[in-house]
Amino acid sequence: MTTACPCIRVLCALVFASTAPHAAAHHAFAAEFDPNVPVLLKGKVTKVQWINPHAWVHLAAVLDDGATQEWMVEGGTPNTLLRAGINRDSLKPGTEIVVRGYQAKDKTCKPACKANGRDVTFPDGRKIFMGSSGTGAPRDGADPTERPRP
Amino acid sequence: MKTPAIVLMLLCAGPVLAADYKVPRTSYGDPDLQGIWTNATVTPVERPDWMKKATITAEEATAWEKRAAEFGERGSEPTNPETGAPDKGDDVGGYNSFWIDAGTKVAEVRGEYRTSIVVDPPNGHIPYKPEAQAKLYALLRNIAVGMDGPEQRPLGERCIVGFGSTGGPPMLPVLYNNHYQIVQSPGYVMILVEMNHDARIVRLGGEHVPPNVRPWLGDSIGRFEGDELVIETTNMNPGQSLRECIRHRVYFSPNVKVTERLKRVAADKIEYSFTIDDPEAFTQTWRGEMPWRAATGPIYEYACHEGNYSLPGILAGARQQEKSGTAGGGS
Repeated sequence: MTTACPCIRVLCALVFASTAPHAAAHHAFAAEFDPNVPVLLKGKVTKVQWINPHAWVHLAAVLDDGATQEWMVEGGTPNTLLRAGINRDSLKPGTEIVVRGYQAKDKTCKPACKANGRDVTFPDGRKIFMGSSGTGAPRDGADPTERPRP
Repeated sequence: MKTPAIVLMLLCAGPVLAADYKVPRTSYGDPDLQGIWTNATVTPVERPDWMKKATITAEEATAWEKRAAEFGERGSEPTNPETGAPDKGDDVGGYNSFWIDAGTKVAEVRGEYRTSIVVDPPNGHIPYKPEAQAKLYALLRNIAVGMDGPEQRPLGERCIVGFGSTGGPPMLPVLYNNHYQIVQSPGYVMILVEMNHDARIVRLGGEHVPPNVRPWLGDSIGRFEGDELVIETTNMNPGQSLRECIRHRVYFSPNVKVTERLKRVAADKIEYSFTIDDPEAFTQTWRGEMPWRAATGPIYEYACHEGNYSLPGILAGARQQEKSGTAGGGS
């Protein structure tokens, strides 16, 4: 069965109390990424592809020998972040990030090696977008009591 | 910051009882449902096993919403990047919770806080026949292991329609992008579903197209009954029998008839209900109800094909695993 991240499954179980299966959002992350190849990537953002169905954050990951390898890391829909006042300029090239995730089963690394961004932070541990913008969690944009846009 | 116009309107107008609300009309006299709406809600389609009641108090609803908000906030708390890579063989996970936008409010319908969108049968569960339940599980198994080509992958993954039943009918809330825009013109109502930017074009009056014509979102004809828009959809595409996503999974037969009702009950709220008539799949006709709330625009394009690296990635990964002898399907 396909799965999304553990946080999503717990979210369903405890919060939304859904009887949903272990299915991903737009697609099955378990079908795309290899559970046997976990990765820890550290490096500078080279670009952000602000595209649907999933945004991709590119970085030049620093290897053990000091060389760099281009990686692209899969996130979620940019529509959600746009509603939270975040846009493609909110994470600028050159920003240092840390990615914890899993490499894609497709390991051809063309045009870049791929991984999912199970946990993407700044070097001090703050979540990207959360730490940089000061905005809160995603919102549905319909509740007058929600925190205002920045 | 720009204060959303809808907030100003609500603050200035003060409380308006539903019974006093006069539904606005278009210039040509139809009830005016136009605007941008969201059906995002904490309330699931089916009632959770631990939730014994169909409705809860306002205090219980607030507590549920608070738990949902706290969970989202916990997912956004800083983590220690020095903990290293995740464990080998673990669930690969998805992405940070800030990408998720599944709603903040318990569904409130006519003053009741609901624990499920399904209201009939009263137990809040979809009344599958055993054979339909078996088809549901078989279809789910197929997408878990079917990697030979794109035709075996789910429609959402292929960017043909949005995932789950976001486009419907019935239109059900999913993990994000739960936004809809209604535009009316004489003789037509158009409902733009943000994901995948699907336009449901409802003809007012007339007959259904011939049964061999099977659009992805079915064939919809509508009528106004007083202030209420009634949409009847048939001719469902067989490929849409399975609607699966992280928040719901539903099976319909291709011969399902879905009757939706949309009634504006306040400037910022539509009551949305649906009836599922499908004797092939269910032991009874079943119904659901939920609110749509006004949302600040704009609605965003979800150009799914534009950057769908996932589908070729999944298929290429499957080919590589076949070559290396490590193919294990999607789970």
